[in-house]
Amino acid sequence: MFRKKKRTAANQKKNEEMNRITHEAVTLDLLKQATAKMDDAKIVQRQTNNGASFSLVYIQTLIDKERLNEAIIQPLLQSGDQAFIQCISTCSVLRIHSIEEAKEHMLFGAVLIHDHENNEWWAVQLENTLSRAIENSETETIMYGPKDSFTERIEQNVFMIRRRLPVTELKAEKFQAGSNTKTQVQMLYIEGIANPDIVEIARENISKVNFDLILEASNLSAFMDDHTHSLFPQFMQTDRPDSCAYSLGLGKIVILLNDTPFALIAPITFFHLFQSPEDYVHRWVIASFLRTLRYLSFFIAITLIPLYVALTTYHYQMIPLQILYVLMESRSKLPFTPFWESLIMLIIIEIIKEASLRMPTKTSQTIGVIGGIVIGQAAVEAGFASKVLIVLVGISAIACFLVPNYLVTKATTVLQFLILILASFYGILGIAFGLILLLAHLNGLSSLKQPFFAPVSPLYWRDWKDLFVRAPLPWAKLRPEYLKTVKKWRVSKGEGSE
Amino acid sequence: MKTLLSILCILLVFSGCSSPYVENNTVEEIAPVTFWSLNQGEGGKFKITTLVPPVTDEKKRLFTLNVDLLKQGKKEFNLKFYRELKNGQLRMLIINEKLAKKEIISLIDTILSDPDVSPRLFLVLVRGSFEDFLEEERKVQKNLDYYLYRMFRHYERRNQGEMSIVNLHEFMEKVYSPYSDPVLPIFKADKDNFTYEGTALFNENKYVGLFNKREDQMFQLIANDHYLKNLPIPHLNVSLGQVRSKVHMQVDDQFKTLNIHVKLKGRIDEYRGHRNILDRSEMNRMTHDIESYLQRETAGLVKETQRLKIEPLEVGAHTLSPLVHPMTRREWLDHYEKMKVHVKYSVKIEPLSL
Amino acid sequence: MSSRFRLFDRTAVMGSGYIFAMVNRMQMLYYVLILPKHLVHPYMMAGILGVGVLSQINLLILGKYLTSNYFVLGYRGFVQLFSEKMVRFFAFLGIFFILIKVIVTTLGYVEIVHQFMFPSMKTSWLIFVLMASGFYIASQGMEKTIRLSIISFLATIWVILVYIPYFLPPISQTHHLYPLVPGEVSLHSWYGLLMVWSALSGPEYIVCLGPWIGPKEKILRGMSIGNALSVFEYLVLFVACLLYYGSPYLQKISFPVVNMIRYLQSPVFERVDLILISLNMIYFLYLIALFLLCLYGAIRIVAGRINIKTNRKGFLGSVAAVFICMLIINGWYWREGEELNLWVTLQLWLGAITYLLVPSVLAVAIKWKRGQS
Repeated sequence: MFRKKKRTAANQKKNEEMNRITHEAVTLDLLKQATAKMDDAKIVQRQTNNGASFSLVYIQTLIDKERLNEAIIQPLLQSGDQAFIQCISTCSVLRIHSIEEAKEHMLFGAVLIHDHENNEWWAVQLENTLSRAIENSETETIMYGPKDSFTERIEQNVFMIRRRLPVTELKAEKFQAGSNTKTQVQMLYIEGIANPDIVEIARENISKVNFDLILEASNLSAFMDDHTHSLFPQFMQTDRPDSCAYSLGLGKIVILLNDTPFALIAPITFFHLFQSPEDYVHRWVIASFLRTLRYLSFFIAITLIPLYVALTTYHYQMIPLQILYVLMESRSKLPFTPFWESLIMLIIIEIIKEASLRMPTKTSQTIGVIGGIVIGQAAVEAGFASKVLIVLVGISAIACFLVPNYLVTKATTVLQFLILILASFYGILGIAFGLILLLAHLNGLSSLKQPFFAPVSPLYWRDWKDLFVRAPLPWAKLRPEYLKTVKKWRVSKGEGSE
Repeated sequence: MKTLLSILCILLVFSGCSSPYVENNTVEEIAPVTFWSLNQGEGGKFKITTLVPPVTDEKKRLFTLNVDLLKQGKKEFNLKFYRELKNGQLRMLIINEKLAKKEIISLIDTILSDPDVSPRLFLVLVRGSFEDFLEEERKVQKNLDYYLYRMFRHYERRNQGEMSIVNLHEFMEKVYSPYSDPVLPIFKADKDNFTYEGTALFNENKYVGLFNKREDQMFQLIANDHYLKNLPIPHLNVSLGQVRSKVHMQVDDQFKTLNIHVKLKGRIDEYRGHRNILDRSEMNRMTHDIESYLQRETAGLVKETQRLKIEPLEVGAHTLSPLVHPMTRREWLDHYEKMKVHVKYSVKIEPLSL
Repeated sequence: MSSRFRLFDRTAVMGSGYIFAMVNRMQMLYYVLILPKHLVHPYMMAGILGVGVLSQINLLILGKYLTSNYFVLGYRGFVQLFSEKMVRFFAFLGIFFILIKVIVTTLGYVEIVHQFMFPSMKTSWLIFVLMASGFYIASQGMEKTIRLSIISFLATIWVILVYIPYFLPPISQTHHLYPLVPGEVSLHSWYGLLMVWSALSGPEYIVCLGPWIGPKEKILRGMSIGNALSVFEYLVLFVACLLYYGSPYLQKISFPVVNMIRYLQSPVFERVDLILISLNMIYFLYLIALFLLCLYGAIRIVAGRINIKTNRKGFLGSVAAVFICMLIINGWYWREGEELNLWVTLQLWLGAITYLLVPSVLAVAIKWKRGQS
């Protein structure tokens, strides 16, 4: 079955190539045909002051009309004897030949000019630069540090990164992805730092993407992942230009997409998912503490409830007598076994979480209150859940939000369920099974073919400086070893200055 | 692949393991017993008692059974009670003195071989009827078992120097160790009270004697805790507080004499005599009196162990050295029995300040 | 999809860190848990050290092969050194050895779980889950399995710290350590030494991992550190057992190393042993996975299919075969409660023999080959 799919895909590709080869010359009729029933497409015919006639073809929603007047229509009308093309005062004017070219330019916001006399077609880029302003990042808020975040326009995003890294070594390669969306993709890396092998892998991966709709960063990453079935993201998404610049400087690759404010960063490791830009703002001891706290809370989030189930179902002998007293007291009149009790509560919590996320801000407050009361108070009073469990569910729900990466936050929920099931079979041993398999899984993952669990396995002791502990920046004189960067030193010594 | 998987499943089913589930210990369905009280029963049987339900606020009942085997007791209880009794939280084993005289080791072995039971289980001997005490006290005290446990735990931690607290492991280790004999705390129980009586002495695993409260203090100082929170000497009208001791024992090469040198540090808690202890020379005399009193008492204690031919003081351990092959227990005890004992105390008392 | 199932791919070479972790964890497998009971006397500390030194010498001999060019070539190296027929014969023997090793360690672990965690559990399901997890880890390929060694090492090495309280006064009894000189040497003591030797076996299986291990210069260093650390751990565990139990009592305890942890209480969990037993599963699983891969490789060599691509069916089949063997032995021939039952004793001897013979046979073969050319 799989092979068949492959074959059809290959056929498609062949067809496309055939189309490209048989390009027809541009004619007004063909363009009229193509823009039929496109009410926003305009075809205008005019004459210059000395009688030469020309046509303009454009899609009015895509272009900047004021500039059309200023930069094309006015100069052309008063062009006199000059050649058309010399009158136009914009930077990008292209001669086009085939209808395909014409369509493509038109759809990316160009005005097509037809010189009737010479039968020449020109495309002038006049796209509408409408976009929102640069705003604060909402997904990764920090107290100190730069506040700007990406917008939907790729040019603006590249600008924000380039401004931070004004070096010619910062390369930006352009690609196009998505047969319908024709999304512009730019791969950024610093030549001379990023490992060329990794860049090549990324390049290959991007050009291999074959899909109709690439609307946002995750769509692209889905086609570039090494492990499709993993719970863990193999690309980091961020809308902070400073994180991107930082990653580029370390030797990673940043992939920007047009029309989405999120950039993909790769190769990453599991531990990057726990790092926040703010780690580098705090004093290093505090930052290390906070980072350790995040790992701890990830651990708590996936094991706390399973542990409750394991202890109350199998290992009552592990609980100190004082706590056992509380547990027996609160569980004595419940209708469900610990496993079902936890499962139900967790699902309810997930429902509330999901609901408050999808709702407008004002409604979500109501949901919070209702959820709080229903879960906290009523469930206990009605005798559906024990007080202890409510406390634990609360703790683990909050703990999973300490992980800065939202995708991992959601992954923890699923992991929690999986380990919960294992715990209900084998107690502590089941939890251990879950954690060991999780470790084995993480060990097997890769991001752009680079090991995902990197500074731990394969072991790079030097990188541990920025792992659980965030050592003072002056100590981090070398780039991470696992990225196998071309230049190793971050300071001006050793293999030359940067 | 599918066929292989299905073969595996069939194999599993056929090998008689239709369910992966393991023992169910859901907390609300079990009664984790915190103590067993063992007593002699009728017709050569045990009487085994506990309070159920344990660790809850519910009203408690006293369960008593006559059984042949310890584990049989647990089973019979389960047939009687609506929750299954479990041993995993067993914290105390209270053994009646009379039963202890007959046998103790087989009981303890049974308990020890249960993987659920922690080796930190406290062993206690009781003189009198602990059951009567339970019967009365449970009416007043809701969580009797829990408070008893907390008491033992408190004195176990950091050696508070009030009681000999012994857990299962310590007991067994000493039973098997050739140069030391185990001890257990002994309590006296009746309808109203449960009081510490002293330390019960064992010869390997046989219960042979007892240090009473006064001797027990000496025992704590030179062997068990090396610390006493309070050492009253009524004879001298003085009470010492926070007494810490350093014991140095030496056995000569021919195993003829035993020198015990105890360095003691403490302060005067209370004094009701007529001496002016603020005066230095009076104080020295007083210290001297205390020293000679302690020497007398300690010598008496050691004599007692020599008479019983037992080793709770672990004197024999001081004869061991890395390069000499040790003698057998019997040889050593024969020497020990005839040994001359010299006790010397150096007491340092912090000056009294008002 | 099946074309992507590659078990024996190689994209990177594993450095000395992996060898260190692998040697150490292989040596800490199972036997160390029952060892103190059979060593008993304090003077066996010297025995452990002595056997440790012997093991080091053995590793030096093994290093002869590991630093030769034959090693890097893996299978082809073996073929160059011996003839193809011989290699197939050795692989056939290897199947048997590895099978016993996997079975004994897995069942041993299952027995510990059964004894300490779930006394009323049916063991077959646990074996199934263990094998399934081992299969999952192994199916990620040899490279990733070897890489797991660091994780399993880091996840379990700190357990040795748990034994520190046993060296501190309230629990430890110094006089249990005396005397340090042996009175009379009995057959039992020699047997104890054999056990130490057998427990230290395992590193000889590194010869199967040729293509993944390197660079040459650092192999020996990694092995030596690993071996030294294992000997140190043995000593720590043995002394802790002695201090805690004393020799006469120690003889009567089954799985003393596990049993003694029951005495510890942490403020949150009173029975630390349950957590530690569960945690130790990681290196049992890791080694099961590693040996399953070796076993599959050996089967491929014996079957003469070394040049045919690995496929999931074949691998699953061989794992299933191991699993069935295990079930059969567990069901009919494994006596619980008796630590040194037939199978454990068999593995004891087999381990000792392979550890003794593999390095020296290879060293002799290399010498012979050099003399020939």
